[in-house]
Amino acid sequence: MADRELAQLVTRLKTNPPTSYPETAALLSRAKLLLLKLDALTPPSSSSSPRPALLALARDTYEQGALASIRARDPAAFTRYVSQLRPFYELLPAHEGEDERNKIIGLYLLLLLTQGLYGEFHSELEALSMTTAAAGGGVDVEGDRYLGYPIRLERWLMEGSYDRVWKAMKKGEVPCEEFGVFSEILTSQIRSEIASSSERAYPSLPLSSTKSLLFLDSEGAVVEFARSRGWTVKDGQIFFPSAQETGEEEQEKEMSQMVIENTLGYARQLETIV
Amino acid sequence: MPGKTPDKEPVENGGYRGGKDLKPKGKKASKKEADDEMTVVVPPSKSSKQSSVPPPNDAEGDVAMDDADKAAEDEVKVDPVAQTINDIKSNFALLDRAVALFDARFSLRALRSISSIRKRLTPDILAQAISETYPSLSASANVAKQMLQAIGRSDVPLGRQPGPEMEIDGEPKASSKNGAKKETKEVIPEVDVFLGILTQVFLHDSKQLQQGFEFSHYLVDRVRSVNRRTLDSLAAKVYFYYSLFAEQIAPLPPSPQSPIVSIRPTLLAALRTAVLRKDVDTQATVIVLLLRNYLLTSHISQADLLVSHTQFPENAANNQVARFLYYLGRTRAIQLRYTEAHEHLTAATRKAPSSACALGFSQTATKLLLVVELLMGDIPDRATFRQPNMETALHPYFLLVQAVRVGNLGDFETIIAEHADTFRRDGTYTLILRLRQNVIKTGIRMMSLSYSRISLRDICIRLHLGSEESAEYIVAKAIRDGVIEATLDRERGFMKSKEVGDVYATREPGEAFHDRIRACLALHDESVKAMRFPMNQHRLELKNAQEAREREREMAKEIQEGDLDEDDLGGEFEGM
Repeated sequence: MADRELAQLVTRLKTNPPTSYPETAALLSRAKLLLLKLDALTPPSSSSSPRPALLALARDTYEQGALASIRARDPAAFTRYVSQLRPFYELLPAHEGEDERNKIIGLYLLLLLTQGLYGEFHSELEALSMTTAAAGGGVDVEGDRYLGYPIRLERWLMEGSYDRVWKAMKKGEVPCEEFGVFSEILTSQIRSEIASSSERAYPSLPLSSTKSLLFLDSEGAVVEFARSRGWTVKDGQIFFPSAQETGEEEQEKEMSQMVIENTLGYARQLETIV
Repeated sequence: MPGKTPDKEPVENGGYRGGKDLKPKGKKASKKEADDEMTVVVPPSKSSKQSSVPPPNDAEGDVAMDDADKAAEDEVKVDPVAQTINDIKSNFALLDRAVALFDARFSLRALRSISSIRKRLTPDILAQAISETYPSLSASANVAKQMLQAIGRSDVPLGRQPGPEMEIDGEPKASSKNGAKKETKEVIPEVDVFLGILTQVFLHDSKQLQQGFEFSHYLVDRVRSVNRRTLDSLAAKVYFYYSLFAEQIAPLPPSPQSPIVSIRPTLLAALRTAVLRKDVDTQATVIVLLLRNYLLTSHISQADLLVSHTQFPENAANNQVARFLYYLGRTRAIQLRYTEAHEHLTAATRKAPSSACALGFSQTATKLLLVVELLMGDIPDRATFRQPNMETALHPYFLLVQAVRVGNLGDFETIIAEHADTFRRDGTYTLILRLRQNVIKTGIRMMSLSYSRISLRDICIRLHLGSEESAEYIVAKAIRDGVIEATLDRERGFMKSKEVGDVYATREPGEAFHDRIRACLALHDESVKAMRFPMNQHRLELKNAQEAREREREMAKEIQEGDLDEDDLGGEFEGM
């Protein structure tokens, strides 16, 4: 009886999710309680064999939970759901529900990317390419609709093709609505990246072209942005504060300090050796 | 005089240390590329050992062994079977001595001989050795039965009297051993485990993997049930083969259903026990095995956690250190911590034994090191690719380095496509994909060096970038990252390079110098640490010091009392 109710809950979550997050959360917690009652979440005792149908249901529940928390912009809950899903993905045969899985992992990758956790991003990627290789190499990670997206974004971010990132976020390039959630964060991220590179690369910038450079809508927004970064705007030109001169002197000082430290270190070592 | 005595010992121990280092060489080869290079294992040749160890004192132990071997060879040339059995048994004597003297060196020597025995092993030889070793009614007869079963000779009765071969053999060592055995009537666990390892080796060489895995499981249980410090080095070996079997049973590693996942709890338990018992050998081996285990299923974060929660024993065998550094470097490379990765991998390649039997390891480590160097923006030394035993293996990487060095994106992509399989097999593929940005950066740097002013459009065309806007962003990022010294002009769309400063005016030479000095100092520290001092030597010294102090006190007293000759005084102080 309990499993029928659970199945109903899951289908409802899948096909016709409630619009508000609290409602979804209530449904999810009911589903989780049912799962607990059915012993689907604790390791089966050796006598009873695990029931694949139940495990699949449990997986579906968590997947829906993950998607719901993304829609609600709750990264902490999403990360929790992803770590709960991990054993399901590792132990169940991967063939069914591949699409959902890739979607969740793709979202997770994107989340790591926006949080700047590149190390974790690459660990995840390594694991992905390994598991697909084990499955017969049929699936191309980069070619996948959901997985390829964060991977491409990362590559462009790393090499600096910010315009491509921008384009990828804009039009109908986003694989599904959940991915769009991250656009805002990514936009501000690339904007600050561009700003910091511009500070070093240009002696000055005309206001008008800065608008397109920073993907801003109007010149007013540019002026606002310039003010927030501490740039001076004069005669339709943006001048960057030159941190160069003060930095150089400091560097000089730091360098001589380092040289002294090193030499003292050598002397001490020599003393102990001889 | 007090200071004199200890001087002699360390030298001798240096010799022993050298001898000890040798042992794992054969083992290392077997570990590396365990799937196919297993057969390549060459027994450590005695000559190479002698040459690699400068202090002559080392000869003492090994030459004696050689002589024994030769003597045995002369006498029993007729029957290789009997000779193998004798070889096996002569190791029991070593193990006995290891137990009696509580000195791991003897067990290590016994382990070293495995590589020479393994080629001659057959089920019959093994069965005979086992049945002759165990009396039928001993407590450990159970172990023997297990072993016999594993090699498919369960019908061989135990407690068989030494066959006629034994009489031909007049070697005193073997007979005295026999006598000793009759007195005690009990086989020491070390011998059990040694025979167990031989069984494992045999099962592995004859590809009876499933059986080997089951037997190893049993043997591991057995090892865990006894708590003897003299068993440590043997136990490490047992775990090593256990995990080797698990790795090779289908489904093969990257799949999460592989048996290597199921042995993790056992290995972790072994690690805990080893740490508690201060069992350095097992600790080092098991940490390395676990790391390898995690990396095979690419559980990078788990591997990282393991490293952060354990402490790799400082005085572990050189080869384990090399392996540990390699796996650590790999983890760090995946996590984008290139500087650390580079450090670890450099140490791993340097620590790898230079002999031919560990070639697989050196190659794998060098490949990874090359990729990491490229990722850091360095161009590896050309000489690396010229080493005769690495040239072919490194060829794809050589092409890769060329493409990166020139900054040619097109070449880079064709090379990746062409050698994708090789890179995937080496596990460097995902790392190499990250190189794309480095290629672009090098390209921009070349451009900025050769032109004082170049339009963004030209940059875009030369580097095969998507659009001018991309080029602009990329160049701006390169400037910020300090790859080039230049400025951009947005209105007119060009990049203007700044004059290149004198490298010697920067801190770079100082840093390079500092790096080298640091490496030398680390080397010195390590060699100091590597010296071994005999047990209880410090007590002797303490005693001497005590005596000296007493003498001094007496002297002081005498001086106070004023009845000491001038000459006397001088003589004494000279000695101090």
